[in-house]
Amino acid sequence: MKIVVTVKLVPDPNAEKRIDSATKRLVRSGVETVLNPYDEYALEAALQLKERAGGDTSVVVFSMAPEALKETLRKALAMGADEAVFLSDAGLEGSDVWATAYAMSQALKKIGFDLLIVGGLTDDGSTGAVPGALAEHLGVPCITNARKAEIADGTLRVERETDSGYQTVRGPLPALLTTALTFGEPRYASLKGIMGAKKKTIAPLTLADIGLDLAVGSDGAKMQLEAFAPPPARGKGRTVEAADGAAGAQAIFDFLKEKKLV
Amino acid sequence: MKNVIVYVEHRRGETRKVTFEMATEARTLADALGGQAHAVIVGPGATTLAEQVKTYPLNGVYVNDDPDLDTYLLDPAVDYVEAAARAIGPSLILIPNTLSGRDLAGRLAARLGAGIGADVTEFKIENGTVACVSPKMGGALITTCAIKPAEYGIATVRPNAFAAAAGGAGATMQTLEKPSGKPYAAVIEEDVEEGSGELALEEAPVVVAGGRGLGGPEPFDTLLKPLAHALGGAVGASRAAADAGWVPYSLQIGQTGKTVTPNLYIAVGISGAIQHKVGMRSSGAIVAINKDAAAAIAEFSDLLVVGDAFKIVPELTRLVEAAKA
Ligand SMILES: Cc1cc2nc3c(=O)[nH]c(=O)nc-3n(C[C@H](O)[C@H](O)[C@H](O)COP(=O)(O)OP(=O)(O)OC[C@H]3O[C@@H](n4cnc5c(N)ncnc54)[C@H](O)[C@@H]3O)c2cc1C
Ligand SMILES: Nc1ncnc2c1ncn2[C@@H]1O[C@H](COP(=O)(O)O)[C@@H](O)[C@H]1O
Repeated sequence: MKIVVTVKLVPDPNAEKRIDSATKRLVRSGVETVLNPYDEYALEAALQLKERAGGDTSVVVFSMAPEALKETLRKALAMGADEAVFLSDAGLEGSDVWATAYAMSQALKKIGFDLLIVGGLTDDGSTGAVPGALAEHLGVPCITNARKAEIADGTLRVERETDSGYQTVRGPLPALLTTALTFGEPRYASLKGIMGAKKKTIAPLTLADIGLDLAVGSDGAKMQLEAFAPPPARGKGRTVEAADGAAGAQAIFDFLKEKKLV
Repeated sequence: MKNVIVYVEHRRGETRKVTFEMATEARTLADALGGQAHAVIVGPGATTLAEQVKTYPLNGVYVNDDPDLDTYLLDPAVDYVEAAARAIGPSLILIPNTLSGRDLAGRLAARLGAGIGADVTEFKIENGTVACVSPKMGGALITTCAIKPAEYGIATVRPNAFAAAAGGAGATMQTLEKPSGKPYAAVIEEDVEEGSGELALEEAPVVVAGGRGLGGPEPFDTLLKPLAHALGGAVGASRAAADAGWVPYSLQIGQTGKTVTPNLYIAVGISGAIQHKVGMRSSGAIVAINKDAAAAIAEFSDLLVVGDAFKIVPELTRLVEAAKA
């Protein structure tokens, strides 16, 4: 069985983001590039499924990003992925959800898979729409937000979280799966894993290799960024030391009254 | 893109406030674009719900009570909305920014060749072009993205960002024919609802959230719930509380949980880590109760009360209840 995991490379979500007031650009200096958190969970799910399946199951990570970020993928290889495929091309710059999903789908058709595991949401773009668009372009079932998954006789059985509870769902392979954070904490790369990752391949792909019928990048994108700005500033408020419970409660109650919230 | 279509997410005829927010905004958008505003409601309970949706300023409501929507995962919904979009013609499709809303939006985008404005909190229309305003990177950046001229565009709409106002000339209701042909791939075998009856976190006007400082699951019930109910709000949590198993993950607020924008957010025993902050920083007023005056949450609260939550919260609940009586 071949499991492919899509991984986006994003600015460290734990770093405080701010806009340089002079250049009006996001300050990237000192901000490391990491694997999108949801995608680490997707990779963890793939590694667990591989361990359970045994045999000749392989896990391939796929990413589409600027060339300079390529080596960040070693982290996924160190966690235990067998190999990586990296799609990078100047012609992809400016891609939106539609163009990203289309380009990715054509590359993924070339790579081939029995199970495609995608993260639920990126930390930077936060559209959460790439998985659905990918599934349509690939013509495979789309089962999202899984907290458990099981494969038997070519059938995928999933327990998935919903906004109000959970569902059990089944569908045929090949399929696209996205994972919830409850699937399991991503493992740490072991020293052996880190050493081994240096020898694993990151196969490069360009647009010429995948042959597209439709435009991608800013030409193919259906959305165009017009402006961006920091949110309205939110100043530091008051601090009140409460002598006891009643005094603390009174301070809050007075504040709520002042703001007409009670 | 002239018309506007609202996708109504519901469960056996029960929907959330965001439906009415979208229905209201759809009218404004359709008027600015010179087109019509319609809603699509499919699945068991659709016809009943349509009566309620019709009280909003729409031109038409398309319904089908098709039971397949409860049997197959999203596939029938994608087919129906695609069919409605093709029948109504070039349009902007509004979908709530929820888990399944995002799935639907992505799938429709591929089918209709449409752009997506994600997590939209405001629309701007100029010369027939729709631009979507969305917070990105956990609210650190507010972007404006225009949908390039095309037949279809999609926006996933953030709950609580638009006002809902009933009224308008009664919309006509019509049956949406079942689209034929495509086999459905994923079968729902079991569907379990947890914590029903509680107000949805994303649309609660007040959120009282608890963190590791509460020390266990009980205070969420005995301390926070009474305060939340007194204020007409809902209970939320930090990831630390969800990870500890004190509350279900559906209550988690933050980077990897829900984004909430209530008028009032009360953080109880929450330190204010960046990953928590990004899920609640756009709230109206923020009040924190924390033992530690140096907790990070002080930096973005309007009021931090330094003290023991176990002593302060019950007193506060009493004050709020007395004020209501
Ligand atoms: C990839 C990633 C994603 C994450 N996503 C999220 C997310 O979506 N949401 C989220 O919340 N976190 C998230 N986190 C975790 C986040 O970094 C913090 O660990 C978490 O928010 C801390 O939760 P907390 O504030 O409840 O706990 P703590 O940081 O332990 O804070 C507890 C607070 O309670 C106070 N306290 C203790 N006792 C009392 C008392 N009796 N009365 C009053 N105050 C008291 C303490 O002073 C302290 O400030 C994420 C982390 C990572 C790495
Ligand atoms: N450029 C990319 N390369 C690899 N995977 C991606 C890329 N963009 C999106 N994805 C995948 O799609 C998921 C959802 O992304 P999004 O819809 O942008 O929030 C991510 O968690 C990734 O798994």
